Order: sequence, then structure tokens, then C-alpha cells
Amino acid sequence: MIPQSSLTIVAPIQPSAEALAGLGVALGKLKLDPAGNHLVPFGDFERLHYARFVILDATTDPSNGQPVAASLALSCCFDGSADGFLRELVVGAAEGLRVIFSHSSEGPGQGDQALLAWLRRHQIPTQTFYVNTLGRTVSQIHQEAQLRDRIERFLDAAPRAAAGSATSALRQDIQEHVRSDEALAWARQPVAPFPLAWRLRDGLDRIGGIALGLLLGLLALPFLPIFLVLLRRSEIKAPHPRQDPNFRLSQFNRRHLAQDEDFTIQNQFSVLGFIKPGLFRYFTLRAILAVANFVVHHFFRSGDLGTVRLLNLYGVDTIHFASWIVVDGGRRVFFMSNYDFNLEDYMNDFINKVAWGLNLIFGHGSNYPRTDWMVLGGARDEQVYKAVLRKYQVRTQVWYCAYPDLSAITINRNAAIRAGLFADLDSAAEQAWLALL
Amino acid sequence: MNLELHDIQGIIARGYGKHPAAAYLLLHVAEPVAARRWLGALIDRIQTCEQRPDPAVPCFNIALTHPGLAALGLDPEALGTFPTELQEGMTEPQRSRALGDDGAAADPKGTPRHWAWGGTGHQQRPVHCLLMLFAVSPAELELAVEAMTGSLADGGLALISRLDTSLLADQAKDGGVREHFGFRDAISQPGIQGLHPQSGNLPQVPAGEFILGYTNAYGLITECPRVHRQRDPDGLLPPAEFGTHDLGRNGSYLVFRQLDQRVKAFWQFLDQASRDPDGSANPQRRLELAARLVGRWPGGAPLVESPEQDDPALATENSFSYQQSDPQGLRCPLGAHIRRSNPRDSLSPNPGSAASLAVNATHRLLRRGRTYGTPLSASFDPEEILRAADGEQRGLHFICINANITRQFEFVQRSWINNSQFNGLLDETDPLLGPRRLPSGRPTDQFTIQGCPVRQRISGLPSFVVVRGGAYFFLPGIAALRYLASLTP
Ligand code: HEM
Repeated sequence: MIPQSSLTIVAPIQPSAEALAGLGVALGKLKLDPAGNHLVPFGDFERLHYARFVILDATTDPSNGQPVAASLALSCCFDGSADGFLRELVVGAAEGLRVIFSHSSEGPGQGDQALLAWLRRHQIPTQTFYVNTLGRTVSQIHQEAQLRDRIERFLDAAPRAAAGSATSALRQDIQEHVRSDEALAWARQPVAPFPLAWRLRDGLDRIGGIALGLLLGLLALPFLPIFLVLLRRSEIKAPHPRQDPNFRLSQFNRRHLAQDEDFTIQNQFSVLGFIKPGLFRYFTLRAILAVANFVVHHFFRSGDLGTVRLLNLYGVDTIHFASWIVVDGGRRVFFMSNYDFNLEDYMNDFINKVAWGLNLIFGHGSNYPRTDWMVLGGARDEQVYKAVLRKYQVRTQVWYCAYPDLSAITINRNAAIRAGLFADLDSAAEQAWLALL
Repeated sequence: MNLELHDIQGIIARGYGKHPAAAYLLLHVAEPVAARRWLGALIDRIQTCEQRPDPAVPCFNIALTHPGLAALGLDPEALGTFPTELQEGMTEPQRSRALGDDGAAADPKGTPRHWAWGGTGHQQRPVHCLLMLFAVSPAELELAVEAMTGSLADGGLALISRLDTSLLADQAKDGGVREHFGFRDAISQPGIQGLHPQSGNLPQVPAGEFILGYTNAYGLITECPRVHRQRDPDGLLPPAEFGTHDLGRNGSYLVFRQLDQRVKAFWQFLDQASRDPDGSANPQRRLELAARLVGRWPGGAPLVESPEQDDPALATENSFSYQQSDPQGLRCPLGAHIRRSNPRDSLSPNPGSAASLAVNATHRLLRRGRTYGTPLSASFDPEEILRAADGEQRGLHFICINANITRQFEFVQRSWINNSQFNGLLDETDPLLGPRRLPSGRPTDQFTIQGCPVRQRISGLPSFVVVRGGAYFFLPGIAALRYLASLTP
């Protein structure tokens, strides 16, 4: 297993109509074929899970009337380290990146080294990064989908025999079939674990993080009443979209945004919004994003986001990768996710299952439906929430996914099939394994 | 809260089972002034939820598309307060893709370009109004339709199409009906709070899921279309927020899809898929397979309750759930039509719990459609069907009522029926009506029957259902109809 990382480059676009138009043309070429285009052929990068280009439009900050310049974001999720991936990107797509980023205010210079340095300069940190299953690589996902397919076909080819045979005999037949196929030789072993050094570091990070969290929590405790007073004041004072007839009616920009949706099992989502004015909201959000990053990395990294049985909380299992990034010098938050099925499923899932978590983070955004004590209310205002979400959603100009027709649940199931294929199982577990097919 | 039954159109409360003859008229508003007068004269005859339907007279209900509301003269500001899906219509290209009507996924004949009505073909007159007529006998219906069509010309309306229906009575002769594949239909409906008495042990659904103006499953009021106060000087409509009057109250939305059924192809496919190894037909297995696709036996008995054979005693059984007795789909396949279109308690969060049922309650449909065309075999005997010549058109005028088309009808169609990875399944959609490939081209023409020791999977399912027409309608309350009839330009 190899841990996943993300990389986001944000560069201001030249403030001219020509630059925007030129950028539009270049991105249009990519959009036609994100995997195989000649500029940035995302499909060539074997450890790339997802990539997208998004134009963050120019706007004015409603809190102080200051202009915010337009910029272009390139964001990628991949196996392994960001630095290594950035080098690969430059080797594989230097020309295309130069064409695309030539519309930036200060374009990348000549030569690969200059480009690499330029990209590093414009790289911005991700505050919170969610990975559905940490460690599972692109090649593992493809391989396991292929393995599942082979086994399913094998069963299809001999249905009657399969139905008549006993559980273990059938499993042995399947094992035999897989063993006989050299192309599936990799499936004879389980997935390699994370490297030892990484596991040690990760374990220390976890212990250290919890200790630090407890300590800071204790130190902050005396300030809790003040915090709650400030929070409540802010919640009551903030403009509330339910009071605005425009927010109550329909889904903003639906047609504009839906033109990029529902072509495959997976969909993308990019949203960009201002943080509510004032330092209180800003620092609270930063703290929450930092804690969330720690929590999802350590506790929600195997297929599910937000399930805590003890608290009777049920999470969502349809998100592959998601990132929260503070941009524009702390004024806006840029959120990207890669999820399964339709946007309506996605929104309903959040409202029905993890409204509290959504509120904790997005509740600090301007025009978010009113929250109560940070976790209550908010997204539970179903139609207003859906309208707000569409209103601040931005178009993803180019979206690449290495496995667009596989849902997270399917990927997890494929992994379970592989994990159990040659495992030593008792008869109940054998039956449960066959039920995965 | 008590429902204002006198202001709610009757089709929400009832399917008019005692009025077995029915026809739907699709109308186009040519002359708004005359059309409003016509509408005004009709209102007192519209069946509401309050009176019991009188067998001596036909029942009328009426619904309008968004272009229809515009044609009647509703102002643009008010038109802009309708939900996006009503404004855009069923055939907006993005929506067609999601509904599976897009050429990339659907049978080419079923794409909106080729629809008989409501489609995007050039010669089609836009559908503005749907008039539903119900009568006790074909003769009575004929009289009612004649009277009605006679009034259209003076009423400034043009008849686009008359859609006939034919109720297929169940052999049980208990008032039940079948659909053309031969299965008992109209068994399962959501129980609506305040409208239906509690029956069985499944929770009821809040009225706001089907009627605007009442609390919905989220404990909220679904957004209603509204008109500016000044546009309703006589106060025909109740007051609403933001200085507006409520045009939606006691109304709802009606989804209509004309679904042609390829009955012979359905049974032919099952016949081939269930043959013995020596190639001979196996009628018993054929019937079992058919029941697995639907989730009920032809007589109506649900598979979770009776997995081995049909059972007349369970013909109308509906108070079952899935998680307790059949979490893996060993009795009723996970992908069966009824388990997709209403998974009851089988989905997350926490299948089998009240929380799972609560989420399910946000995706319920009130089905009010009727069949059309003569059955291929009056007895629905598959042997007879296989021998019959299939030339005529027959199918289901699928009609459902819901307060939020996106969250209810579209969700069920797209996220459950069309979803090729629904509930852990892979590469299969609803066996009766799902698209047989993804927009990306990946085939989804399989059907899995979960089993021990392992599943069985049949593949190569052709399209058994082809969409022939469709539209989204607003089903106004009576006061809203009076308001529309009284509009002055
Ligand atoms: C020609 C097309 C169709 C046929 C032949 C068909 C057939 C059936 C049958 C035989 C049943 C079982 C009877 C019952 O439970 O009442 C049923 C139930 C149902 N169908 Fe369909 N159907 C069709 C189209 C649709 C469509 C388009 C939808 C929704 C988008 C839909 C939604 C439902 C629902 C919600 C149920 C009730 C399931 C339950 O509550 O258990 N059907 N259908």
C-alpha cells in the first residue's frame, strides 16, 4: 500500500479578455479527451487518481468591496509524494503546462527546471484531505476490477455446475481458475502493507496528535464560554439565505453546471465561497480544518466518512477523494470532491447522514443556511441548502478520473474479493466471500 | 394539521377504481382568453378529495405544464418561482441524460426526438394541459370525452392527443389490476398522514411529500410557487412569505411518462434464459425468473414473503420490509423492480432501522397511472403470449404525484432504477425498465439473482420498455385554478 497525496497549483490569470479566451481554448482541448489529449495527457500518469482544472473567477469580496483576481487551479490526487509527482508531471507534460499557464500573470519561464520551480512557487497547501481508502493505488484498483471481472465471467460460463457445487469446492474452482491465469499472478499474494517506516511515523503522528489535541483542548477550556457567546452572536447576526427569496426558489446555474455531470458513475464537484467576515470565523474554520484533516486521516480512511457507531452516527461511503483549501489569502475556501452517482444523491446523503459535519466546516461560509451551535440546523434546511450549494458551485473545466465507472462501494468490494480469494476461511466466511460476487 | 380536502384535486387521494374507464386529453392553449373562460367553467366539476367520487358522473382532474401556465397568462415573475425541473421540462438534454432517455443510454426509439408527444421533434405542438377523465363505463367515458372535446374549440384549446386507457382486471376478480407483462400492479402505495388510515406496520409518509403547503419528511414546507400580492388583488390565493400569495398550496406535481411495453420480447427473453440444458422450455423456471425481475409473483405475492411460489393469500400484501428477512437478496433479488423502486429499509444509514426508513420516506411516489392497449393474452398466460402476434402498442401511462420532482420521481428513476451500481450491484439496471448501457457505453444489461452457494447472473437483457412521451405538470389546488382562470393580461 502506498499513501495518497494531493497537489494543488493556483496561479493568477492575466486580467485580460484575451488571456481568459486563450485559456478557454487550451482547456477546451483538454476537455475533449482528458486522458489522451496532447497537452496534458492525464491518462499517461500511472499513479494519478484524479485531476482537474478549475477557473476561480474574479469577484469582489462582499465584506470589504476589495477585488479578488481570477486564477487557475490545477489539482491532482495520486499515489505517493507530491514532489515526485510534480517532477513526473513536468517530464510528461511540460509543453502543455507551459501553454496553459502562459496565460498566468507571471508565466513559467523556459526550460523544465524553470517550470518546476514555477509550479512549486504556486503550489498551495491543502488544509484537509480525505481519501476513501488510504493506501489503495490506481493500479490496485484496476487490477482488482479485472480480477473480479474474470471471476464473474468464470461463474457465468458454468452456471449450473456452480449452482450445484458445494461452497468450498466452488471456491477451490475459482482459486484454480485464477491460479491458472498468468496475467493474474499478482492476485496470489495479498496487497503489500504500508512500508514499516511509514507505519511508525503514522503511529507516532497519531499519538502525538491526540496528545496535542488533549492539551490544547484543556488549555482552551476556560475560553469555551466566550467562544460560545461569540459563536452564537455570529450565528444570529449572519445574513440567512432562508430570508432571501432568491435562495428559496430553485437550483442556481443548474443547466450550466449539469452539462458536465452524469456521464459516468462518478461525478466531480468544485465549490468556492467566501468565509463569513471577521477573524473569529476565520480562525475557527482553520482550527476545524486542521482537526478534520487529522481525524479523517487517522480514523476515516477505510471506505467510510463519518460513521461512529458509538454515537449512532452513520457516514457516507460514496466519496473517493475530497480536499478543502483556503485560497485568496484566507478569504475564500475552495472545496473539491470526487463522488459517486448524481449530485442529488450526494446532497441527500449529506443532509440525511452527515449534516453535522457539513455544518461544522461549511457553516463558516457566507450564505450557508443558518446553523445552531455549529452542528445543528444548517444543511438540514434541505431546499435552501441545495440552492446554496448550486449557487457557489463552480464549473470544473477539465476533469480526469482514472476509473470513472467504478463506485467506491464497488472498488471496496473488489478489494474484499481479492483479499479473501486465497485467505484461509472457515465455512461461514467462505459463504460470505462468495456472496461478494 | 388538517388537510384542506376541498381544495385538493381528487387524484391525490384516489385512483378512481370505481371509474374503470379513463382517458387523458393532451391540450394546447391557442387562445388564452377563451381558455381561461373554459377553465373557469370547468372548475366546479373538478373532483376534489372532499367528496366521494359519484359513480353517476365522470370525474375530472386537470394539470398544466410550465409552458401551459405561461400560455394561460401567468406573469414571468410567478413563472420563475416554479421548481427548476418544471421550468426546464422533462426533455431538457441534461435531464434526459440523467433519466436515461438520452440516445447514449436509451433505446434509440425512446429518445425525446422520437416521442409521440411532449418530445423535442420539430412538428410537435407543446403540451400545455392534461385533462384526466374517469367514468364508470366506456360508454359514459365516450359521452364525457365527446362533450369535452366539443367544448375545446370555443375554449381556445386544441387537442394534441387523446390517450386511451384500458384497465386490465386481475383474474382474482377482487378489483385488482394487472400490467401488460402480466403482474398484479397498484398494490403498494405510500400511506399519507391525514389522508389514509394507518394500515400495516410500515410508517406513514407526511402529507407534504405529496401536497404542497404541508410539512414534508424533513419537517419543512416544500417551496411553493407564488405570485406577487399585487397580482392577486382579489385575494383568491392565501398569503405567503415575502409579500406574495401562495399559488402552490394544496397543489402538487404530476409526472407523466408513456411507457410502451414489449410484452412478447419480455417473455421470449425469459423463455430463452430459463431453458433446460437440453434446450427445452421450462415454464416453471421461466415464471420464477419473471417473478425475480419484478420482486412479486404475477398474482402479487411478494417474494420476500413467499420466495418459492405465488400465493393468492398474499396478493395485496404490502407491510413487509427487507433487512430482517432477506438482507442478501436470497428471497427477493436486490435488483428486482420493486426492491429498486422502493428499497424500504434496505439502504444506509443502518439498514433495518428507523433511520433507514426515514431516508426512504423522502423518495416515495404516489402512482396513479393506468395501462393502455389490449393485452397480448387475456389470461396473461406466458404460453399464449409467446404464441401471439405482437404488433399493437400497449403499455403503461405511468403517472406519479410528488411534491418535489427532483427528490422523488427523478431520484427514484435515476439513482435507483437507472443506477448500475445500486446497492452493491454491478453493471445492471432495473430489469423491467432500466437503460441497458451507461452513457459511456459500458453495458448494463445483466441481472443478478443472489443465491447459495453463489449468485446466478443472466445477461443480454434487451429493452422491454420504451418511452413514447412524457412531461412534468403542475397539479394546482382549486383556489389556484380559480386564480389562473381569472388572470387578466
Ligand atoms: C412499464 C413500466 C413498468 C412496469 C411494467 C411496472 C411494474 C410494476 C409492478 C408489477 C409493480 C408491483 C406492484 C406494486 O407493488 O404495486 C411495481 C411497483 C412499483 N413500481 Fe413499477 N412498473 C413500471 C414503471 C415504473 C416506473 C417508471 C417507476 C418509477 C419511476 C416505478 C415505480 C414503482 C414503485 C415505486 C413501485 C412500488 C414498489 C413498492 O412499494 O414496493 N415503476 N411496478
